[in-house]
Formats: sequence, structure tokens, C-alpha cells
Amino acid sequence: MLQRVVVVNTFFLTCLLAVAIPVNTGALAGQDAAGTPDRLTFENDVVPILQSRCFKCHGETKREAGLDLRRRFTLMSGGDSGSAISPGRPQQSLLLELIDDELMPPENEPQLNEKQIDVLRRWIASGAVIAGKEETPLAADDDMADLVTEKARQHWAFQAVREVRTPDVADVSWVRTPVDAFILAELEQRQWQASSPATRTALIRRLYFDITGLPPEPDEVTAFVNDKSSNAYEEVVDCLLASRHYGERWAQHWLDVVRFAETEGFEYDRHLPDAWRFRDYVIDSLNDDKPFSQFVSEQIAGDEMQPDDPQCHTAAIFHRLGAVRRNAGNPDIALSRNEVLTERTNIIGEAFLGLTVGCARCHNHKLEPITQKDYYRLQAYLASTSEYDIPLASPEDQQAWETRTAEIKADMKKLKSRIVDATGKREAQLQQELRQLSYDLPPHPATIPSIRNDFENRTPIHVLRRGIWEHKGVAVGARPLSVLVSMSEPELAGDATLPKTQLARWLTNDQHPLTPRVIVNRIWQHHFGTGLVRTANDFGTHGDRPSHPELLDWLAGSLVKNDWRLKSVHRLILLSNTYRQRGLSLKSSGTEAAAADPDNRFLRHFSRRRLSGEEIRDAMLAVSGRINLKAHGPSVVTPVDPELTGLLYNPSQWRVTQDTREHDRRSIYLIAKRNLRLPFMEAFDAPALQSSCPLRGASTHAPQALELLNGSFANDMAAAFADRLRRECDGDVDRIVEQAYCLAVGREPTVQERDLSIKFLSEQPLVEFTLAVFNLNEFVYVP
Amino acid sequence: MLRDVSGSLSSLASTSLLSDHCLGADGASPLHPKVIHQPAKARSVIFLFMAGGPSQLETFDPKPLLDKLHGQPRPSQFGEAKYQFVQTDAKLLGTKRRFRKYGESGIEVSDLFPHMSTCIDDLAVIRSCHGDQVVHSAAQYELFSGRTVPGFPSMGSWALFGLGSESDSLPAYIVLPDPLGALEAGQPMYMNGFLPAAYQPTMFRPGDRPVLNLDLPAGVNLQQRQRTLKLIRELNEATLRPGDDELEARLNSYDLAFRMQTRAPEVFDLGHETKETLDLYGVGQQPTDDYGRRCLLARRLVEHGVRFVCVVSGGGPGNMQWDAHKDIEENHLRKASETDQPVAGLLQDLKRRGLLDETLVLWGGEFGRSPEAQGGKGRDHHNLGFTMLMAGGGVKGGQIVGATDEIGLRAVESPHHFRDVHATMLHQLGLDQHKLTYPHLGRDERLTFLEGNVIDEIV
Repeated sequence: MLQRVVVVNTFFLTCLLAVAIPVNTGALAGQDAAGTPDRLTFENDVVPILQSRCFKCHGETKREAGLDLRRRFTLMSGGDSGSAISPGRPQQSLLLELIDDELMPPENEPQLNEKQIDVLRRWIASGAVIAGKEETPLAADDDMADLVTEKARQHWAFQAVREVRTPDVADVSWVRTPVDAFILAELEQRQWQASSPATRTALIRRLYFDITGLPPEPDEVTAFVNDKSSNAYEEVVDCLLASRHYGERWAQHWLDVVRFAETEGFEYDRHLPDAWRFRDYVIDSLNDDKPFSQFVSEQIAGDEMQPDDPQCHTAAIFHRLGAVRRNAGNPDIALSRNEVLTERTNIIGEAFLGLTVGCARCHNHKLEPITQKDYYRLQAYLASTSEYDIPLASPEDQQAWETRTAEIKADMKKLKSRIVDATGKREAQLQQELRQLSYDLPPHPATIPSIRNDFENRTPIHVLRRGIWEHKGVAVGARPLSVLVSMSEPELAGDATLPKTQLARWLTNDQHPLTPRVIVNRIWQHHFGTGLVRTANDFGTHGDRPSHPELLDWLAGSLVKNDWRLKSVHRLILLSNTYRQRGLSLKSSGTEAAAADPDNRFLRHFSRRRLSGEEIRDAMLAVSGRINLKAHGPSVVTPVDPELTGLLYNPSQWRVTQDTREHDRRSIYLIAKRNLRLPFMEAFDAPALQSSCPLRGASTHAPQALELLNGSFANDMAAAFADRLRRECDGDVDRIVEQAYCLAVGREPTVQERDLSIKFLSEQPLVEFTLAVFNLNEFVYVP
Repeated sequence: MLRDVSGSLSSLASTSLLSDHCLGADGASPLHPKVIHQPAKARSVIFLFMAGGPSQLETFDPKPLLDKLHGQPRPSQFGEAKYQFVQTDAKLLGTKRRFRKYGESGIEVSDLFPHMSTCIDDLAVIRSCHGDQVVHSAAQYELFSGRTVPGFPSMGSWALFGLGSESDSLPAYIVLPDPLGALEAGQPMYMNGFLPAAYQPTMFRPGDRPVLNLDLPAGVNLQQRQRTLKLIRELNEATLRPGDDELEARLNSYDLAFRMQTRAPEVFDLGHETKETLDLYGVGQQPTDDYGRRCLLARRLVEHGVRFVCVVSGGGPGNMQWDAHKDIEENHLRKASETDQPVAGLLQDLKRRGLLDETLVLWGGEFGRSPEAQGGKGRDHHNLGFTMLMAGGGVKGGQIVGATDEIGLRAVESPHHFRDVHATMLHQLGLDQHKLTYPHLGRDERLTFLEGNVIDEIV
């Protein structure tokens, strides 16, 4: 990450040549005698010089140009212009260059004498060593006073959730749930109108996709349209929220936020054994309407909370979901550990706190009142957390797996030793054999790829200068973010036995200003397309301001009062008149209000929504009648073109699920592999699986059309849909067209649509018609 | 991979009944050509990606002192270095390659590149490149996205995001992978990261169907499919409200899809090239046929307005890449013989067609190789100093930029990080690295991350 900037001048080149020539003669060999007693050291020889001339501006109180000269490691990590020294190479050390060029110290300050400069030069030339094994860490900067000011604490999202009264409105008849009062009050203030209600056919389609991610069946549409009872709508909402498909739909939103994937990414993209258990845990938790506070706690501290409950260990897979870099060769254990801790810390900021905490890893946050020390204090909760795969299989099965795996690995090892001696084509051939052998490795027995505390190997957490693990600053203990607690809040003792439980308790206490606001905003966002706060992962001072701050607080308060149960929030929103308005495209409502509020943040109408890739695929499966609604279990690997698996570093990782009926399961049950995403999902804006995705895009581009026209899945589904229509309509073209529309877009065709379709079918095969139906705007957009 | 895939499709291209609906007329398209930040010198980029890490010491950075120190440990004044495999007690390895001066510029090139050396006056040889990572995956991410972790947009996606597309019938960002297999960083390396899906790369595939979903399903002919497209348009228009730009754009994307499917195969078809041109790239001979075909295809693509083409040399097991751990001689002789003539052919062909002026060609890998020997004859990964090449697109050729130290360990003179290469590329395309940003998780992200320096000497 460090940018090395070396100023080049002729002086420097001359030096380079002058020093390089003696190398041939071995004249410098004597300087390499590390550990000789008379060797210059930082503490004994260099500090006295720097202290007298440099520390004033680059030390305790000031860090001009970001440079701190008090330790060797701070010289190494350097300042804004890069590293100050280059051990062994005085000519390439910025420190000496600036001194030699008489740029430092500044001209009105006391200068270094020849002898002092010579000591610095010789110290660098001889390797720039320190006296002992390790340097003493620097004392903490007392930098909170600058950053965590009283004003910063006043930021709306850091304030306690307020008790809010629903506002008074003129048109009380429009208020169906309190949500409407908040929305209407803002509209009335601007003298804007809410839209008329959506048609019943539009509403039922909207509800089904929104809550379950699946289209309604034609008879469900008919029943709702014809049900004139006053609670018909409410009954549908409750029925859908009670359906297990609710969890299958809403789990995806959470999986996006926690960047759920079942593989580790990077070079090996190793598969985490049974990571799908986390997906099922999320689905079940949502379906059970588990209090969100408990849901958060289990993910953060499941291993500590209920050591005997496999569900809690499954929840804690949360800590394993980030990409992990593993590589062969010289192990850099501390570096890898640092990378893992970074991933685990950042996601807690993004997912639960809705803060860009990760920005404070290398320096105090540039935009938010979050210090670097805060960052490492948050990380300190995870200092003892280490990977732990909990075996679930019987000891016999586990043993059998180990034996078989060992056999194949032994064969692979033999093959590898032959590869060492081979070259060219022969080597390629053996590599191929090796790959082939890896296909025979037996699947992992049942496991929970979780974590546990390993106190013996606790990573001491330091503030790391520029985020570099070798550059350790002061040691820190666990503590919440300064801006959210009192300045005198103590750090957690290093030997605390349940550190993550402490973190979970803090995050889920009923008074927490962020956790409930962040989650109700996510829910709002998925119902309406835009959050009350548009930056769902960023509630900081530079994030978006809420469009309806009182509504946000009212919803957050209501969540906590309702025992943190998310379905209570869904109901408040879904039953509102606000939600039931007519759906329009953002750009098509050419009124004055639309010009003033182009993003429709004030909810003058409902915003039409493009379905996600998962919804489009699931809808095609449902409409064609092919869908397999089986719940739970190992992730399904569908067949893809060999050209695509050929792009995997280890193609044998893509083991297609044998039972072909499994291939027609809902998209949430398909494998989430970092290095091979399905082209269908990629085309329709599925996230990259690498970092938290708070909100998906809905772009429009030609590969989507190609996917729906020429893609093997689309054509397969069109054929199945055609078969279904033939079967159900006895070849009656008129009925076929009607049924196709009812199944695919939830309404009967208009006369014009009917005529066009029948004319087409008189000349063209049915499968081309069903393919056309999948390509309708109405099929991929919900009204 | 480039057999004639167009068949009878291309001959029907002109009959497209949809061609009057032009996507370019609609501002809603994310690929619509965009306003640039400054005058552009290049219109397209071809990145000749030498995957696995070619050695600077065997190619463009001669080090006589290294040969003299062969078999000795590295003298301490050259400083510290971390390798993936090689330990601190490793011995320096001299090179068996011979260097000679070429062209008017008299830049030294090794005997691995008899063809590329004839183009040296068009090449800027940046000998002082460096990166932050010494393992493939992380280094490859940094080479493509400026970040050592996956999930950030690649330079191809950024270029597309900044400039839009000039082609109304081809994907605008294309990767031509090596048919030998994948690389360590995998697909995420080329991807759009958090940029909208419209800026994804199109991965060409080996075999006779280079682009996914570009050909019709079995049993469907083009006339039939045209009728289906007509039905789709008519049914969609039946419910379309006037002024609904979003859905209008969606209908237009079908026109583009159709044009891609009818016209692109013609561009992919090398059958239109003369024997002389095929020979220039080494097509039809071994071992240059594969890379030659892909380089020639790259020229055809930029000729037709494709914005960014990446032509990968190396794939599958390490030794099938430039990853010469075991035997630098065997590996580099082989890899150079596969690519030397195709690369030179590409440069010459671009130049004689007047395309080199507007096409920036970039050559290089994710790192270089260690001055120390690994296992006697090989070289380990090495990220502190290595060579990349640039040509065309306004870059001044025939010059050397920067220098490594006397053993080729570390860039010591005008060091250029990957982000400088990125900044230079954007600059030539008329894009300002500071203005080309996209908000992601609370930050306005850019390709150059910590800010790159345009390599002034060559622009």
C-alpha cells in the first residue's frame, strides 16, 4: 500500500555508481557482519541525533508530512512521500537525501553536523538495525479530542432513537398505518399528492414478489381480485409473511450484506465445508421471526452463547464468510491473520453499525469521528477468534473420509514429485493427471465451518501504523466506538472470557442508536427500492440524511418495542396506503413534483422495480412448472458450459449435483462460489460476492437480452413452459395465450396482445412464443 | 477458436428489421459514448498480459553485475526482499540470455525477442515498475484493479465506465484468455466489481463459440428468431407508456443484442485476412498460431471500436504461464517463442493501418522474477522491480523509463507503481484519475486508489 517516491537527481545517480562499483571487488562484504558489537543501533546512536534536531516536527507533538521519526518502524513506514529509509542503501533513503540537499532541517532551524550525518549514513548502510529484538510500542496518540468532538457526538445517527408521535395530517382518511401519517405529512407540506391505489392485479403481484420472490398462481390472483371482504389484503400479507418462501426471499438480502459465499476466493477458492448451513440458518431465523437482536448476537457470539447448540455455531459461520488469501511458499502467518481480522472487523461495521469503520484501519477516519484506535479496539473483540470446523459426522464416517482422502493425497504427492522433474508438454500432461486425481477426492463429511475462542493463541491487538502488521503502535483492548460511548468507558480486560458476547450485548441493547435504525432502513429499502437513508451501509456524518427522520426513529422504536421482531415492521409497511400506491417508473411521471423529487424519496407513488436475477430465474422455473420447491440442504451445483469451468483454477471444484431435479430449485439454494458466478446472475446485477452489497443495481444492457433470448436456461424454460401450456390447454391457441399471460404476468392479455400472439402462433412454434413471454418488460418488472 | 462462426448469419446482418432503432440515440444507455475529461490520445487499449510474471532479467533489463555475482549471496547493500519461496540464503542467478542494442534508440533487448526488438523504437520500456504483492492472485488483482483484494473494478471496466462504447454491435470490453486454462486470481480479476453490470467484461472462450449466448440455440434459424424479436417488440410496445425511458432502453438493448449476434461473428472471423497478414502474426505456424490468432483478433476488435481488449499469454499450471520457478531458460524460451512474433506482428499491423496512434498497447505481467535462483535454474516471483512496455496511443516509444539497481532487484530510479501505469493509461484515454470515481461503501473509489503519477516522460 505504501507509495515509494524517490526523488531522482544526478547526485543520486553518481552515488549509485560510486557505491555499485566496489561491489565487484567484495569491498563491502565486511559491512554485512550483522551483530558485531560495534554496530550502530537506532536506540543508541540514531535517536539522540534525531531527538535533538528532528523530533520537534516529526515526533511527539507534530507529524509534519505524516512522518514520525521516533521509531525505526515509523521511519520504515514513512510519511506522505513514502519510506524515510531503505536499510542497506543510504543513497536511496529519503531521509539522507533531504538532509544532503539541505532541505531538512529547515534553514532557520539548528542543522546537523557532518559527524551526525555520517552516523545516520553508516547506520542505514549497515542495515538500520535496532538494539534489541523488538522496539517498544509508541504511546497512544491522544487524538480523540480532535476527532470525537461534542459536535460529532451530536450527529443524528449517534443520538438515541427518539420517542416520536405520529404527525397530524389534513387527510386523515388516507392514514391506514402510522407509516402513512409520516409520509402524508411531508407530501402535504409540499402540497404534493399521493397516487391512487394500484390495481388489485398489480398489488398481488407486487406482494408476492416482494415477500416471497415468486409470482402468484393465476387462481391466487383471481381469488384476491374477487375477494371483496375488507381484510382480504391483510389476509394475503399475513399468509405470505407466514409462508416459508418469505425467509427464502429475504435471506438473500441479508446474504448480500454479509457477502455470503461458500468459497474462500483468491487463488484456491477453497470450498468451506457445509457453509450452506449458514444460508439455512438465515432462512429459518427469518421464518421463525427470531428477534433481530438475537439474530445479531448469534452471528457475532454464537460460539460463546450456547456452546451446546449447533444452531448458534452455525450462526457464527458469519465470521468465516470473508474471502481468505491462502498461498503456498513462505508463510506470512501474521500478515494472513491481520488480513482475516481486517475482513471480520470491517463487516461488523458495515452490516450492523452501518458505518464505514474499515476506513480507519490505516489512519484516523478522514470523514467520520472514528479514530484508528477505535478501529483496533473493535478488532480486539475478535483477537481470540479462530477457525474451527466442527465435525457432525459419526466418528466412523469421519475416519473413512480421512482414510480415503489420505490415500488420494498420497497418490497426488507421488505425482507431484514426478512433476518436479518434468518439463514442457510432459509436465502439462502430469498436471492434467493431478487435476484428474483431485476429482476423486471424496466430499467432506458433515461439518460446521465455524469459529471458537483460542485464548492461548490470542493475537495481541495493536494500533497498526498504516495498517501494516509489522508496524505496531500501542496495544489496545476491546471497546465500542468512542463516539458512541463515554470517554471514560474502560477497555475490556484482555482475559475476558466472553469477548464477543460483550460486543453482541452492546450492539443489541435496546438503546443502541444504530442497530435498530440500520435494520429497519434495510427493510424499508427492499420494500420501496430506496432506503429512508439511501446509503444503507453508511449512517455516518458523510452518509445520506434520512428523508423522513421521524419515521425512521418511529420504525426503529417500534421494532425494539415489538421484541425486535422484523415481521412487525414488514406489516406496518405492507399494510400502509403508501405501499399500496400505483407503481410508476421514476422517469415517467413528468410533473413538477417529479422534477423536484426525481428519486421519489417522498413516495408520491410506488416505484416500479426490476426483478433480481434470482427472482427472474425463480419466476421462469415457477411459470414453466419446473420449479422444485424443496427447502434446505447442501447447495446445488448446476451444469455450466465446460468453457466456464475451464476458467476456474481448479475445475474439479465444480461438482455438478447428480440429481437433475435439484437443478430446478430456487436460486437461493444454488452454490455461491466466488470465482464462478453464474452468467445469468452476473448479467442481472448479482453482487460480486467480495464485499458487502447493501443494494443491488438494476442495469439494462445487451447481455441480459442475449441471456433471455439465446441462453440455454431461458430456452430450456421456454420449452418447459410450452409443454405445460400444451398439456393444460389441449392445444387451444386462444386458451394458450390467455394462460401464458395469466401465469407469466398475472393478468389476462388485452385484445391487441391476444391478436398479436395468435397471429404469431399461426406461423411460429409455441416455444418461440413462450420465449417471447419471458422477454416481456412486464415479466421482469413488478408494477 | 476463431474458425468462421458467422456462417450464414453475417450475410443476413443488413436485413435487420430493427436497425432503425438506434441505442445510441437514447441517453439512458450506460454504454453511450461519454464526455471525456481532457483531450484523448488513445481510443482503445490492448493489454498483452504475460501472466505468471516474466523475468525482467531475461528480457528488457540487462544486468552484467548479476552475471558476475552468479552463485554468490546477494550483497547486503541491495536491501531486503521477500519472496514467495526463495529463502534468504539463496544464491544469485546470472542469465544465459544475450542482449543487443536495437533501433535508432539503441535500447537493449534480449535474444528472446528477435521480432519485438525490431519494434523497439515504438516501445517505451518502463524498467522501474513495482507492485505490493509477491503472490499471483493478490498481484494480479493489483495489476488489474489497483487493489490487492478482489471485488474492485478492473482497468477495462473503468475504461468502459469512463468512455462508453464506440461499437454498436460488439461488446466493448473483451478478454481473450489463454485456452490452456485459468489464472490464480480467476474471473474476479477481470470483473466490474461494484460498477454496474453493464461494464462487465465479455470473456471469449476457446472453441467455436467465443461469446456466450451470441449464437442461436440449436434448431432455431435467424428468420424465425427475427419474427420472435418482432413479437417481443410489438407486445412490449403494446403496454409501453410514452416517455418511459427505462423500458424504452430495455427494448433498445434487444436491438443491440441482435446486432451483436449478426455482425460480431464477422468481426471474429479471421478468414477475411490476407495470407501476408496471417503470416505476420505467425498464424498457421507453431508455436505462434494460438497467440497470433488472438493478437490478430485484438486488432480486428479495436478496429471495430472495442474499447479494451486483454490478450492473455499463459494459463493453467504455473509452468504453462511465465511462472518459471523451475527452469527460467526452458520456460521463457517457450513462452517467448509463442508470443514474440504475434506481439511484433500486432504492433506492425496496427502501425501500418494507422491504428497504433489511437491504440495504447500495454505489455507485462503481475510481477517480475527474483535475481536469486530457485532450485538452481528457476526464478521466484518478485515485485520490487520489473519491466512493462507501452506503445502507441500517444506514448513516445524508443525510450527507457527508470532503472532497477545493479542486480535488477529493486526499482531505484523513477519507480512506477501499477497505479502510475493506470494513471497513464487513463490519461491517454482522456480520463482524469481523480474525476473517474464511483461511490462504494462510503468512499468515492477510483482505479488508482492512493493516486498514481502519470509517467510524464512518455506521454
